[in-house]
Amino acid sequence: MTRRERMLHDLDEDIRGHIETETQDNIAQGMAPDEARRAAMLKFGNVTRVTEDTRDVWSWVWVEQLLQDLRYGLRMIWKFPGFTLVAVLTLALGIGANTAIFSVVYAVLLRPLPYRDASRLIVMNETTPRVGTLSVSYLNFLDWRKQSTAFAQMATVHQVGFNLTGVARPEVIRGLAVSPEFLAMVGVEPLTGRDFTAQEGNAGTEPVLILSYEMWQSHFGSDPSAVGKTMSLDGRPFTIVGVLPARFRWLDKMDVIEPLGVLLTNNTEVMERGNRGESIVVGRLAPGIGLAQARAEMDGIAARLAKEYPAADEGYGVEYKPIRDSFVGDSRPAILILFGAVLFVLLIACANVANLFLARGAGRTREIALRLAFGASRGRIVRQMLAESLIMAILGGTLGLAFAEGGIHAMARWIPSNMLSGTEVNLNGAVFAFVAALVIVAAFVFGLAPAVHSTKTDVQSDLKESGRTSSASAAQKRLGGALVVAEISLALILLTGAGLMMQSLYRLRAVDPGFRTERVLTMSLSLPDQQYGNDTAVLNFWQRALDGVRALPGVESAAVGTAVPLGGEHWRTDVVLEGMGELRPGDYPHPDMHIVSSDYWTTLGISLVRGRWFTAADDEKAPKVGIINALMARRLFAGSDPVGKRFMVGHRAKEEDWITIVGVAGDTKLYGLENPARLEVYLPFRQAPFGDMNVIVKSSVGSAALTSAVRAVVNAIDKDQPIAETATMEQLVSDSVATRRVTLVLLGLFSGLALLLAAIGIYGVISYSVAQRTQEIGIRVALGAQRSSLMSMILKQGLRTALLGIGIGLLAALGLTQLMKSLLFGIGATDPLTFISVAATLLFVALAASYLPARRAMRVDPLVALKYE
Amino acid sequence: MSTKGDKERIELLQGTLDLLILRTLRLGPTHGHAIAKAIEFTSDSVLQVEQGSLYPALHRLIKRGWISVEDGTSENNRRAKFYRLTAKGKRQLVVETSKWNKLAAAIAQVLRPAPQEGKP
Repeated sequence: MTRRERMLHDLDEDIRGHIETETQDNIAQGMAPDEARRAAMLKFGNVTRVTEDTRDVWSWVWVEQLLQDLRYGLRMIWKFPGFTLVAVLTLALGIGANTAIFSVVYAVLLRPLPYRDASRLIVMNETTPRVGTLSVSYLNFLDWRKQSTAFAQMATVHQVGFNLTGVARPEVIRGLAVSPEFLAMVGVEPLTGRDFTAQEGNAGTEPVLILSYEMWQSHFGSDPSAVGKTMSLDGRPFTIVGVLPARFRWLDKMDVIEPLGVLLTNNTEVMERGNRGESIVVGRLAPGIGLAQARAEMDGIAARLAKEYPAADEGYGVEYKPIRDSFVGDSRPAILILFGAVLFVLLIACANVANLFLARGAGRTREIALRLAFGASRGRIVRQMLAESLIMAILGGTLGLAFAEGGIHAMARWIPSNMLSGTEVNLNGAVFAFVAALVIVAAFVFGLAPAVHSTKTDVQSDLKESGRTSSASAAQKRLGGALVVAEISLALILLTGAGLMMQSLYRLRAVDPGFRTERVLTMSLSLPDQQYGNDTAVLNFWQRALDGVRALPGVESAAVGTAVPLGGEHWRTDVVLEGMGELRPGDYPHPDMHIVSSDYWTTLGISLVRGRWFTAADDEKAPKVGIINALMARRLFAGSDPVGKRFMVGHRAKEEDWITIVGVAGDTKLYGLENPARLEVYLPFRQAPFGDMNVIVKSSVGSAALTSAVRAVVNAIDKDQPIAETATMEQLVSDSVATRRVTLVLLGLFSGLALLLAAIGIYGVISYSVAQRTQEIGIRVALGAQRSSLMSMILKQGLRTALLGIGIGLLAALGLTQLMKSLLFGIGATDPLTFISVAATLLFVALAASYLPARRAMRVDPLVALKYE
Repeated sequence: MSTKGDKERIELLQGTLDLLILRTLRLGPTHGHAIAKAIEFTSDSVLQVEQGSLYPALHRLIKRGWISVEDGTSENNRRAKFYRLTAKGKRQLVVETSKWNKLAAAIAQVLRPAPQEGKP
């Protein structure tokens, strides 16, 4: 029962009681019962009216009025179908674009992470000034965990990869090796099966794993009896102990989780303090502790460790990131810029619709004046007009949702998944709430000014005027003009942003990456230690694979290498030059190391600067040789020829470890086109056998056919060896600029839309003003005004509006383009050429949009115009 | 469409009645009939309110939170609604009383110099 019902429930009884009491009083004063009752009734008044009046106290007058207003709004909307169609379409474009982009914003930046109390989870890496972010040494992690009190819990998370074997088609699967407390710490329970036990964190534990939900679906058909079965990873049987819930996701795509103990078993490398593999540490802040406090404590721990273990830890600090930031990555500025852009588009759309309402409001001046004269309050009229705006906005929002639904599907296919942090973009409750809010706000933005404006009429004069030619007031013209000025400014800002992005992308694609991409395919293979325990086995595999691939039809050259430019994996280590003095740890050159076969450079089209490439003769029996890149030659051998000089990988000082430089290779953009070249060292694969390599093939055959041909070659050597990460070099280059490309295309789309809407806005306002001035123009013509001067009069009006908008827009753009600095490349945020050409474009569009109405003004027939009444 | 003038006149009457109800309830909670009688009695029967108009006024005051309502038994053993002044209502009574006094004083001021014009 509502309060209203409760209150009115006993009203009748209360009133009856009242009258009865009065009757009794009257009888007590000596009246006859009938008379006493009649007198009481008379004194009380009309019972029905009293009841109704009391009910009215509790009734929702405003709801009834709102319904009335909405009905009125609906009538108006049916009355002007053309007007409605234009307004609704304009709004739908604006709202639809906003919905689509907001769904991206929500998915990437706002959607709650699937962890308990995620804001308390901090991701930690090690860091050095020279290299930047690094993985965390396992022994350091143990000391952190032991000494820290600011973190209630801490877990290490290693990235691991496996070859899934014993199946029809072997494949590479990705996994995490985690401290056994990890899942409990982030607050995730297995969907079925069990979590890891504390013992499974210790070396020597039996291999077990928990499947990701996707892996469970794709490899076990969601069969609950998968728990207890075994999977053969790298030739070892792992027992499946659990399945993760579908909502679980991690920073990188992953298929399985194993307990840390499995990783530690027989692993001497991880027990070296200086070994920083591929791991991060996740900690949960202790209750009441902020990140700043935790940081202070951890920095102290790191400083102590650096003193205690200078060889491994000197110069290393800790880097902290809330887990949300780790998920978002680098795409945040691009996404926020697009969100800002799309809001601008909506503002422009609102301005256009407001102008439509203003123009129509002028036609309704008489109606409104009449209603005011009959005593309607201004507030009520404004409310009614707002109700009409609201209906319009709801229609626009509904159609916009349909646009967005289509747009999201297109975007999801086309936006690179790393820009989306691997999350799914869809229309969901949060997006619907956003659209609802947008609809209401938009209704006010475009509805309020015209509504308030329409009631500011002079009742007397408006009623006298005939409805048709009632001239627009000066205030209305100013408001309409101001709206168009705003539209032009907003469009100019968007166009400037798009222009700067376009030039950045163009300049980025023009950067010489140092390698050729045409017809080059790469794929990655990882030989498990279990089957390839010794160097001979590894070398045999690679040699047979190379020979087999080279023999394939259409293959021009083939090579193996530990890294591919722009690819994911890189390995760096200290080198010592012969004759170099003892340096402090951290001061040694720290180049990217490549282990390659002799055709690596020719296959990738990297140029030879000096000396020679490796040959088949540089094998395990030959003297050790190496090739450095041009930057390293310049930086470390300034002025002298590095060929013939010697260096050593790491700090071991044994005579046989010296490597003689035999050549200098051109620099490559290993880490993205926008990043400077780094020091690089190449070693021949026969002298440094390595199990994880990329096979790189230059061929005239299409990539799909080539991939299966290479797979056949590999599986003829080892039927359990999977191939992963197949990509053409062109794809890698294109992916490396994908975020920029997506930003550019969307920004281009939005600014095009903005330009179109602004042009329509100018056209609308000028046409309307010409229509209003038909009579005046007719008189001017009759009095002998030159038609050309009439035209220039109208064009000047358009020009004034445009110039004002462009001026304001340029100033605003100067400030706002600073926000997109991180997305620009090779161009300043205030590039004058971009600003000038965008301003010129807008000016041209504005003049073109004014030209049509101006020509109409020129053709006004004075006779017709004067008879117009 | 009701005109503004009508509304304002009702407002004035309502305001006065509200003040009288609040003033009456300051003496303690009581039922509707007793309130009507008390107003009649304390004003020496000068202010004859149509008793029914009390009820919309009472409910308006409940809605504003100035009075509350509870079940009770009247002096002749009838079940009746008892209305009680709330703390908010007490504060409002002070405000309304001082407003009324100011208004009354102002009107008296206006009427004093030309008393002969005052009465119809």
